[in-house]
Order: sequence, then C-alpha cells, then structure tokens
Amino acid sequence: MSAAEIRYETTLGALPTLTGKPTHYCAGCEHGTLTRLIAAALDDLGVRERTVMVSSVGCSVLAHEYINVDAVQAPHGRAPAVLTGLKRMLPDRLVFSVQGDGDAVSIGLLELLYAANRGEPITIFLVNNAIYGMTGGQMAPTTPAGMVTTTTPHGRDIAQTGRPIDAARLVASLEGPAYVKRVFLPVRPTASPDLYNARGALEGERAVRNAFEVQQRGGFAFVEFVSTCNINWKMSILESKRYAAEVLAPLYPEGLYRDRFGVEAR
Amino acid sequence: MIDSREFLKGNEALAYGALRTGLNAYFGYPITPSSEIPETLAAEYGRSAYPEFKAFLQAASEIEAINLAIGAAAAGAKVMTATSGPGFSLKQEGISYAAAMELPILIVDVNRAGPGLGNLGPEQTDYFQATRGGGHGGYRTIVLAPGSVPEMALFPSLGFELGFRYRTPVVILADAFLGQLKEDLVFPPVAAPAFDTAWATTGARGDERHVLSSIHLEFVDQSRHSEHLREKYAEIERAEPRSSEVATDDAEVVIVAYGICARLARKAVRELRARSVRAGLLRPVTLWPFPSQRLRELVGRGVRNLLVFELNAGQMVDDVRLAADGRARVESFGRLGGLLPTATEVASAVEAMLR
Amino acid sequence: MIAATPEVLPRCRVEIDAERCKGCDLCVVVCPHRNLRLTTGFNRSGYHPVEFHFHGSRGDCTACGLCYWVCPDFAITEVARRRP
Repeated sequence: MSAAEIRYETTLGALPTLTGKPTHYCAGCEHGTLTRLIAAALDDLGVRERTVMVSSVGCSVLAHEYINVDAVQAPHGRAPAVLTGLKRMLPDRLVFSVQGDGDAVSIGLLELLYAANRGEPITIFLVNNAIYGMTGGQMAPTTPAGMVTTTTPHGRDIAQTGRPIDAARLVASLEGPAYVKRVFLPVRPTASPDLYNARGALEGERAVRNAFEVQQRGGFAFVEFVSTCNINWKMSILESKRYAAEVLAPLYPEGLYRDRFGVEAR
Repeated sequence: MIDSREFLKGNEALAYGALRTGLNAYFGYPITPSSEIPETLAAEYGRSAYPEFKAFLQAASEIEAINLAIGAAAAGAKVMTATSGPGFSLKQEGISYAAAMELPILIVDVNRAGPGLGNLGPEQTDYFQATRGGGHGGYRTIVLAPGSVPEMALFPSLGFELGFRYRTPVVILADAFLGQLKEDLVFPPVAAPAFDTAWATTGARGDERHVLSSIHLEFVDQSRHSEHLREKYAEIERAEPRSSEVATDDAEVVIVAYGICARLARKAVRELRARSVRAGLLRPVTLWPFPSQRLRELVGRGVRNLLVFELNAGQMVDDVRLAADGRARVESFGRLGGLLPTATEVASAVEAMLR
Repeated sequence: MIAATPEVLPRCRVEIDAERCKGCDLCVVVCPHRNLRLTTGFNRSGYHPVEFHFHGSRGDCTACGLCYWVCPDFAITEVARRRP
C-alpha cells in the first residue's frame, strides 16, 4: 500500500452545532467543556433547528455565541421564567439554559424553584464554581465556609452569611422535577501526580443527553455541574482541580437525585 | 361567555378586550386594584371561546411575570401582564430588557396611590415612570391612557397593533377608579390579526438563526443599537400621538387631563360653558408619544391658558410646559392620596386661573 | 525522520488548532500515554499551544478521545484512526 492510499477515519470531529467562535472563557474553565457537551448532544439528537436556548448573566452571558441555535437573553436569574414563557408558546421545541451559581441560586432562586415546582418541561444546566466569576470573584451562595473571596476577604463566615446552598438537593426536594443530577465535571487527580482522570466530561455528556431526553418526555430536567474558577480562586488551573476534588466534591456530592423516567437505567 | 353588549368593570372589559383580539398568554401576580384582570382571564382560560389563549399562569412574583412574558414574546406571541404601582416598579428591569430586545409586550398598570404601599385609591403618580422609560437605560415605551370602560376594552387591540408594528413594549396606564368603574359598552367584533413575527426565536432555519439579546460589549455596537432605538422612537413620535378634544375651537382656557380626570374635566367644561367661560378639554390618549404637536397648534390658535389636572403633585404638567414653550400660562391642579375633586372644584380652579 | 510506510505511519492522529489553544494543560494531564505537550512557542493570543506526539512517554496514542472531550476550547478539532 503506498503512502497516498493511507486514509484516516475521523472518530471524533467537527460539531455542527458549535458556531466555531473562540470562547471568552478563561483557560481551563468547565464552561467550555459544557458547551461542547451540549453541542454534541444536540447534534446526536438532530434537534439543532428545533432548539431555543436562553442565556443568563454571569460568565454564561455569551454562551449563545458558541452554540448555533436560536437564543434569547434573560435578565439576571430569570432564565427559568423566560424558558417557561417560550415553552408554553412552543411546546414542541427543545429549550434549555446555562446558568451560574449566582444567577440560579441567588437572584434567580425563586424562578428556579417555581419552574421546578411546576415541573415545566425545560432543561436547566447549572455551572457551580462556588464563586461569582464574571464580576471578579465575590462570594456566591455556594461558596464553602472559610473560602476567601473579594467580599469575604477573611474567609466566608457562616455566622454572618449562612451556609452554602446545595442546589441539586433543594431542587430535588420538590416533587415537580423529573430528573435532578449532579456531575463533578473537572478532571480529577489520580494516584499519579501528573495524570488526571476525565471521567467527569464523559459523565457530563450522558447527563446532558439524558436531560434533553427527559424534556422530550415532558419532564423538568436539572443538572448541576460542579466546576472550577481558578482565576477567582487565585490558583493555578491544576490546583483548582485539586481544590474542587478535595473541598467541593464532598460538599456537593455527585449523584442522581431524581430520575422519574428511569433514563439512567438504560 | 359575554355578549357584544355588556355592563362591566374596567378591568373586566380590558381582559375581554384582550381575549377578543387574540391574546395568547397572560402572566401576572395579584395586586389590587388590578386583580380582576387575571381573575377574568383565569375563568375564561381553557374555554373554546378563545382558542388563541394558550397560556395562563399566576406567577410567583411580579418579576417572574414580566420574565415569563419576555419568553412568550420572544416566541412571537401576544402576551399581557397587569399590575399596579408597586408591581410596575418591580417589572422595570424586565421592561428595559424587552425594549432593548424590541419585544412587544402589553403591560397594564392600574395606578393606585403611592409612593410605597400607599392605598387602593386612584392616582396618576406613575406617569413619570411610564412615560420616561421607568427602568434603566435609554428607552421609551408607548403609553396608552384609556378614559372610559369602552376604551379599556379597545386598548389591548390598539396596544398589540402598535407593539408589533414597532416591536416595542406598550403600557396601558389606567387608574384605580377606571379599573373598578362599571359602564355600559359594546365590544367591537372578535378579530385576532396576525402580525409579522419573522424576528421571533422559534428555532434556527438552516444557517440562519435569531438571537434576541441586549448585550453589546463593543461600545460602537451599543451606540448603533441605541441609535436605532432612537430613530424608532422618533418615528413613533411623528406618527402615533393620539388625543381627543371637547370644545377647543374657541377656547381661551384648555384643561389637559387623562383617565378619570378627563371625565371630571368634561363635566367641568359643561359647567363653565354654562357660565359663559370659553373652556375646553384636551385629553391625551397616548401619554407617550405626548400629543405635543396638537397642543402647540391650540396654543398657536390663541389658547393662552392651560390647566393641567392630574392626580399627582405635577407630572404631566412638565410635558405640557415643554409643548407650550412659554407661549401660554400653564398651571397645575390636582389631588393626592386617592382623593378626587368634584367637577365643580375643577371648574373653580379654571376660573381662579383666569382671574 | 520517520519513513512514510504503512508499518510506521501513526495509527491515529490528533488535529490541534493551535490558535484556539489556551495552554490550559487539561488534555496533557488526562492523556494516559503522554501524547500531548505544551510547546515553548506562543500563539497569537499569547498562550503556549499544545502539540501532539504519536509516540508518548507512556505509549502510543490509541485515539481514546479523552483530550477531545476535555478540551474547553475546541482546540482539539479531530481525532482520527488509520483505516486498516
């Protein structure tokens, strides 16, 4: 066989649902990973032209720049309401949002809980990096006790600010949702200091696909992705993955908190 | 089920008017004196009489309501939300976003006394908030001021027509009195016009996709967008002011009043004319765009006195002064707190102005 | 310099868009065979982009795709296997 006859077969390649625009996300940020997972799921399901996404406010504010679907921008925290309005008018479209922990668990908590309570057939992805990223590193409702942020310069004091909020459990405490899942998205340290485990991305891929399928079957789907923010945590990228594994993973355990349709069993 | 001729409260008439013009969705939070609007719509939801009415939801908050409306409007639907002053304040962020994204949404404010919690009486103290673009950023919304129960029934249709023509939110600024007043009315025939919604986000079409957003990080882009809004508002100001008049042909003094005040002013004009005072009434129907041109014409024709009668400490009087441009005397008359003067008191105020 | 005969041509390859790479190191640390390394050069954004070596310090690339899935910037544009 001559060299010219050697052919390579692409096993993983272009995703048509990505616009191709380089992202504004910081190096190593899980927002980028999640964008890829969403695009892959939409491509797999073949629903790009029947999907409308809602952008929120935070680092996710430009999420619609990277995913090639119709998009509406919601005010801070209000994406679940905008999704509901869209879905009530367009019941056969797939609608989803990407929201940060400040957007969904602070200013938007009412909108999140009421959409969940109503069991609206929508899909919400929460990127929980335990800090306010876009605005420069202030405390978030999910910031762990003792963590230094720009508004907790001496470490988060529970007596003053209350405890970090577990969004997945809060949403799962309501009967309305059909699918509530938490995924640890960052790469995880292993026994070898220079080898990290990418299981999170693969779990995330399945969770995103399931969350869309649940909506197609008429249920409310919520996936919380525990993530990192090395810039505002003031760490290197790999340090932030280690911190997430050591501090955030026990605080926000990954798992399936609701699966009414049994989508994970298959 | 209603007949074309009915005896209804203003709020009820407005709700039926919206249904008869093809309302697709209502989202709102209960607040006196506007709650009859969602209550009427809740009773009619799901009935075959109004097949276009696809969604009714009592929202968990005023803020959730306006954002539900943003979602429905983005899909190209005819959507309405109703509230009173405190709720109107809460909705301002959402209205700013809707104006920026150029979404038609009908927002009804049944103005009650304020500020703060106030009371349930009629005031016109939300005039500034409604006409100046009450939220952040530079925008306007069309503001319609019904003056009767029949107009409460008509204005949803007018509101959607203007809202979709210009892709803008439209405020219907009523007052507590008008919301609760019961009057005879005849509804126009049921008609649900289809509007151009090519801009809506209903799913990409091949390579073409729609993004409805209000973020323009590059200053040049934001400037361009705001210029576009400015041009749109200039066009609305040119083409859409509306007003009606009583006895202005030979008037030496004109009362400027809207809503329930216009009703009292009409009676005051009758009393004054019986006493040979040449009084008239100019009733703005659009508060934005304000009928400044019409006012200027009246002043140019010889009206030297303008008494602005409103239920606040002086808000619309600013717009009247601007329009009069120093060529007529402009004075304020009103009541606060939910109180109303009698027509006779209004007439006395006019005479006091002329002395 | 490897001769381009079927026996030694790489069994798989990973395409990288160096201009999209932000040098985050995630693909480097997840690769089981150490097939990826940050370069000392810079791309136009000022990052050290990553480069692919079929023969890694822990083995040859098997086109497992972990780098592709983990890359937050779609800088790993393609993973391909040679047709047998």
